[in-house]
Amino acid sequence: MSSQEIDIREALRQAIDEEMTRDERVFILGEEVAEYDGAYKVTKGLWKKWGDKRVIDTPISESGFSGIAIGAAITGLRPIVEFMSFNFSFVAFDQIASRACKLHYMSGGRLKVPIVFRGPNGAAARVSCQHSHNVEPLYAHFPGLKVVAPSTAYDAKGLLKAAIRDDNPVLFLENELMYGMKEVIPTSEFLVPIGKGKILREGGDVTLISHSRMLLFCIEAADFFAKRGIQVEVIDLRTIKPLDVGLIASSVRKTGRAVVVEEGHKFAGIASEVATEIMEHCFDYLDAPIQRVCQMETPLPYSPPLEEWTIPNTKRIIKALEEVLVGK
Amino acid sequence: MHNGICTVEKKISKRTYLMVSKKWDKIGSLMSCSVTYNFSKGDPEKVFGYLGKDLALEVLDEMLLIRNFEQRGEQAYQAGKVWGFYHAYIGQEAIQTAAVSALGKKGHLWATTYRCHALALLLGMTPKEGMCELYGKANGNAKGRGGSMHMYTENMFGGDGIVGGQWALGAGLAFSLKYKNEKGKIAITFGGDGSIAQGTFHETMNMAMLWKLPLMIVIENNQLGMGTQIHRAFCNLPLGENIAKSYGIKSFTVNGMDFCDCYAVFKEAYEWINKTGEPVIIEAVGYRFKGHSISDAANYRTKEELQKIMEEDPILIYANYLKAKNWISDSELEERKKMKKDEILETMKFADESKFPEITSLEEGVLVE
Repeated sequence: MSSQEIDIREALRQAIDEEMTRDERVFILGEEVAEYDGAYKVTKGLWKKWGDKRVIDTPISESGFSGIAIGAAITGLRPIVEFMSFNFSFVAFDQIASRACKLHYMSGGRLKVPIVFRGPNGAAARVSCQHSHNVEPLYAHFPGLKVVAPSTAYDAKGLLKAAIRDDNPVLFLENELMYGMKEVIPTSEFLVPIGKGKILREGGDVTLISHSRMLLFCIEAADFFAKRGIQVEVIDLRTIKPLDVGLIASSVRKTGRAVVVEEGHKFAGIASEVATEIMEHCFDYLDAPIQRVCQMETPLPYSPPLEEWTIPNTKRIIKALEEVLVGK
Repeated sequence: MHNGICTVEKKISKRTYLMVSKKWDKIGSLMSCSVTYNFSKGDPEKVFGYLGKDLALEVLDEMLLIRNFEQRGEQAYQAGKVWGFYHAYIGQEAIQTAAVSALGKKGHLWATTYRCHALALLLGMTPKEGMCELYGKANGNAKGRGGSMHMYTENMFGGDGIVGGQWALGAGLAFSLKYKNEKGKIAITFGGDGSIAQGTFHETMNMAMLWKLPLMIVIENNQLGMGTQIHRAFCNLPLGENIAKSYGIKSFTVNGMDFCDCYAVFKEAYEWINKTGEPVIIEAVGYRFKGHSISDAANYRTKEELQKIMEEDPILIYANYLKAKNWISDSELEERKKMKKDEILETMKFADESKFPEITSLEEGVLVE
């Protein structure tokens, strides 16, 4: 089987291009996606190939163009909406929260909203308070919406293709700092199913659960413990909603210990949700209280030492693992 | 002017709506406002010449059906059989009835606000489906999940509950038509005067004109955003004309109480969209006879003011056209009113006897499987 080494940016571009080739109802719109080739170059070359009709530059009107895309989706098209940053999706919150995720149920099944909202989520490099928020807990709260956050080129491509083909609204969370990360993946077509997590590394002593960029630190922490003879099982959620509870539970039942890492804030976050699911499904198997490693409860500050400390890092993850491993 | 069927001649007519409220009297502040509307007028001879007697009487039946449906729905509400927010269209019937009869029930795509009973009925929702939805029954229009504010038909996409929420969605319907190259079809979106203050409305106007979307934007100016009179919410009246100028969009203003004027304007606006491929803004100025919703006691207007306004009942005005043409007599009008009343009473009985959704169905249909 032939393969290619590509970065996440190219994986996303290929996914969009392949789906546009496969289905003429698929189009992409957003700020700078066309002539500029995308603010982060994810849509590079697509406007030249597909033209104005299917690769559409919008004014800076997130609410307006998200609403237009929803109107297009309920009448048979399959829009991909790019947010230059998911922090800008807050301007379009009403469209997602009151329309995209509710129209199917609210209409008694008359309407379907096959739409993908995608773009970079969370902290990038020193972009300060208003450009660094992790939006996944906000949107995962809404029934009717799927939330996906891949961490590798393979998953990014396969999951984006699956998201475009899904008949439901899907929030597809990327990470600016990961766009350049490379991986060898097949050149032939493949899909990755939404709703399935993945074991990144097997281990029997403790389960470490995370998604997106925090997995880089999780792997470093797992390496640290491996050198000391402790095997950490690392789970990549890949999809946040619907959550792969089965995979999480079977791992924790095996290891008896769990740490959940999330780039976003601790209060009412994804880590809280995962920890509660573990409590509900694995209470009798737990040998230690679950630990969470999350962002501190402040807007994300600009100054480098502050930024580095508030976002979870390898050191903090190691410390949390040590705490749950007490007595092991 | 363009279609040869209806002539729209533009007349400057000044109309002053007195908006006196007790509250304002007391604090001795702004008591009235005067807005000059440039109303486009329809020629009744041509409108009724085009409609013909049979269709004209059907239109009357539709308006009577909407009026009866909503009055009886309100009665059921008072009896504890309908709940939640309930926004009546009573007083505004001429606008959407004219739009649907001028543009046709099939083909075009429609969206409106939470004041959505009328449009759904006009576009093919059966009164039974609608009443069952109000009663929260399993066989309701949206299986009892939407209620009064969320009704749908094959080519009507809500019923949106957030003020201004439908504007961008409606432009999306027009986007779809253009993308699929469905020539001759347009999207029509209705919204109230209050929603013009929402940012998304302006984003949508900009993109609709920038992208040349086949979109008819109908501002139903009932002069009240809940309890706030338009002159307390907007700095630059009249709304439609001024907004249209900002975006370079063609606009019409029409007396929303007069079916004949509305019909002519909708025909004319459709011709414009078809000819130019550009959107059109229509401001239909009218009045709602009921409160914003059923729980609104409407203390912001006096009884005298309401009485004066109700003299312009759109159904009365319409019936007078028919009487003048000798197409209907007083007794025939009463007979038709009674028929619609009986039909709705039967509908209520049906809704009453229908079943509530099974509890086991609660979690069905959150996602498309």
